Amino acid sequence: MDIKQVMGNRRSIRYFEPDKPVEREKIQYMLEAMNRSSRAVNADFVKTIVVFRDELDAEVLEQLKTPTTTAEIDMAPVHMFCYLDLAYTEGAQGRLKELVQLGALNASHGWSEAYVDEVVWATVLKPIASDPSILAYIGAIDAGVAINQGMLAAVDAGLGVCLHAFNTEVAKTALGVPDHWLPLHLLLVGYPAEDPLTGGQRPRRPLSTQCFVGNASTPWEEIPEVTEQLKKDGLIQDPVDAEKRRAEVKALAQRFGLPE
Amino acid sequence: MRRWFESARLDDDPAEIQAHKLALLADFCDHTGQNPGELVSGLLRTTKDGHTAIAAKKRITMNNTIEEFVEKSGFTGKDAVVNGNIIRGFLVHNGIFIQGRAWREGSGGSPAPS
Repeated sequence: MDIKQVMGNRRSIRYFEPDKPVEREKIQYMLEAMNRSSRAVNADFVKTIVVFRDELDAEVLEQLKTPTTTAEIDMAPVHMFCYLDLAYTEGAQGRLKELVQLGALNASHGWSEAYVDEVVWATVLKPIASDPSILAYIGAIDAGVAINQGMLAAVDAGLGVCLHAFNTEVAKTALGVPDHWLPLHLLLVGYPAEDPLTGGQRPRRPLSTQCFVGNASTPWEEIPEVTEQLKKDGLIQDPVDAEKRRAEVKALAQRFGLPE
Repeated sequence: MRRWFESARLDDDPAEIQAHKLALLADFCDHTGQNPGELVSGLLRTTKDGHTAIAAKKRITMNNTIEEFVEKSGFTGKDAVVNGNIIRGFLVHNGIFIQGRAWREGSGGSPAPS
């Protein structure tokens, strides 16, 4: 699928085919897409625990169910628990040196093995590692980039995905999560039981309200021809038809016995 | 109850379905000894800075109470899931974020939440 169509088709899917298994091959595609994301200091920010719901120990599965997660766990066949590894600065010097040796980081931009060996730890990595808030926010940005690539890969593979909060304490115990993994998101994965396009895109505000040019007070002016082309390419799609969606949700709620 | 019916657009449902939902809620109120308003208010708390929040532990208890009620009422299979979630629907449309089981065809539904 064209990348514009993939990005345009992505929706938060909340009703999954509970008994249609997700192929491990597709999960690996998602994981590899995450693994190929842009990342500072070439670190593996995200640690992902893939849980195939029906392969999980029944007792552990029950522990993961809470009054805010039960329906999702029942419906989504795959749960990807995403964590930020707060130890991401460990080994960073070695990885940076490798990038210098490979020419990804180069002298044109000021990089050298000497800089990595003698300066980087004290002036870049140590200040990050020693401030928990900086450590978390820098890591969360790159983790988000990776998770998004996994989501887009899922859409490309015909799957539905939805980011969800989860009971972090229960998951920590049930899944044996180390102390230095910071909980980020639960990524629910499965084949959509709802229309994968859910009747249209969610409302978005115009670019001019959030994008600026030259300074923070000059709004970006859209080029109408580009907007039209992006509509033709599938990135921009018609908004959701609320009445149609309401009817779909009612039918889904009745199918799964959920509140209407 | 008015809020529930309006928010969920239950007024459009056939009369017998509306009656079933109301009767089920009435039975649940009998089971708990609380009226509908008390069911909702008992799941809310006020934070130190005056905001309204969900009482998380009481919500767990409520989910278990709903499952007990469903079992005591003799509902099984999809009926058990549906009727438990009718009660949850009343709570949801009154501002309580709560989830119960989803019915899975062929599996007999998942076990009750612990």
